[in-house]
Amino acid sequence: MPDFNPTQYAVPLFVVAVLAEMLWAKFRAPEAYEPKDTLVSLSFGLGSTLAGALLGGLALALMFLAYDYRVVDFGPEWWALWWAWPLCFVLDDLAYYWSHRAGHRIRWMWAAHVNHHSSQHYNLSTALRQSWTGNLTIGILFSLPLVLLGFHPVMIAICGGFNLIYQFWIHTEAIKRMPRWFEAVMNTPSHHRVHHATNPRYLDRNYAGVFIVWDRMFGTFEPEVDGEPIRYGIVKQLGSFNVLWAVFHEWIGMITDIWRSPWRHKWSYLLREPGWSHDGSRETSDMIRAKWQARVGADVAPAATSVATRNPIAASGEAA
Amino acid sequence: MALPPLLLQTAGSLAAILALAGLARWLKLGAAPLLDSDDAVRLAVGEVEDGFDPVTIARDTGSRAAVARDAQGQIMVIKRHGNRYAGRVLMPTAKARLWKDRGFTTLEVDCGEARFGKVFLDLPDPDAWADAINQLKQSRDA
Repeated sequence: MPDFNPTQYAVPLFVVAVLAEMLWAKFRAPEAYEPKDTLVSLSFGLGSTLAGALLGGLALALMFLAYDYRVVDFGPEWWALWWAWPLCFVLDDLAYYWSHRAGHRIRWMWAAHVNHHSSQHYNLSTALRQSWTGNLTIGILFSLPLVLLGFHPVMIAICGGFNLIYQFWIHTEAIKRMPRWFEAVMNTPSHHRVHHATNPRYLDRNYAGVFIVWDRMFGTFEPEVDGEPIRYGIVKQLGSFNVLWAVFHEWIGMITDIWRSPWRHKWSYLLREPGWSHDGSRETSDMIRAKWQARVGADVAPAATSVATRNPIAASGEAA
Repeated sequence: MALPPLLLQTAGSLAAILALAGLARWLKLGAAPLLDSDDAVRLAVGEVEDGFDPVTIARDTGSRAAVARDAQGQIMVIKRHGNRYAGRVLMPTAKARLWKDRGFTTLEVDCGEARFGKVFLDLPDPDAWADAINQLKQSRDA
């Protein structure tokens, strides 16, 4: 059985890539980085690794438990089945899509995933801004179908590691667009900028990990519009560089809401979408988008500068 | 004595984090935008809440913060956060105070969120803004 964690081997590459992007930013887009924000994002990365070491075993134990009930047995040398690896990678990416979508639509999961979105910047350090509390949610449930199908938990973990590594490079404004065929199939910096945007048209779109085809299939794809500046972060920006507040603010907000709400609404504050409130005093992403659409009409004329215009180097990657 | 791998990895990561954050500072990354015109404020206001249409704007003389009011009487406070902006539409829980020192009056706006922090503004007609903000509470109590 392979004992291999691809993410560990990729860490030096992450460091070198962040270094290179900082040098790019120095000459092309100094505003792409903010030292305090970078420190917070990288601290998230470290904390996430430690949290994974402490709590990740629980998720793996659950997967091994479920593995005993698998439908198909790939045999003791499952790791030697060459075709199982790409199949597992694709199915794991599909599972990631749904887990990620739930991470934005179920407040319990958003409480953990919001960490990745709370930066108002979009650079490679943002990619390392990973949650500390992901293991306290129900995210693991989305991997269980693969285990029950017969894929070994270690195979799924390795594929998940490569998935995470792939997603690192798409957190940048330095690349405008990849070739058209690539943009059609794969998740790219352009598609993922949309995902991190708070512009009403972009809210809760492009959940893909590696293959953007899932968003196209399930109706959540939104292309990046040239001419509309992207605003990154969350609908209600934190306005603070306090790491602990950044990690736990949504947990605190959710628990407070559950505590204060009438009994019949308590589960809704846990399981409904972020922004939902029993008295209608807040706005969900759907409500924000509807209000925006009502204000601007169906045909929106983009007016200002795009990411590429702000960062001249980015324009060189024009779509084929 | 051999160090546990996790401890070693943590120490290495911490060193890399501090080095990268230090490098970002050394390279002077993060240009500081200013709220130095009403158009700049309008842009920032739109980022805080889509559709908020200010009819009155007042900018801090240092161009680091601003307040804006729309036709419905809603008031928004905006502050610089790193090299971006963060803001809040003020709720009835918001409070304003005036600090007077050597002929200057500073407006303190507390949106009611401790972690967001208080915003201090040197701007024209601070008394009127303080009254307007404090009346948000009175309008709720009325």
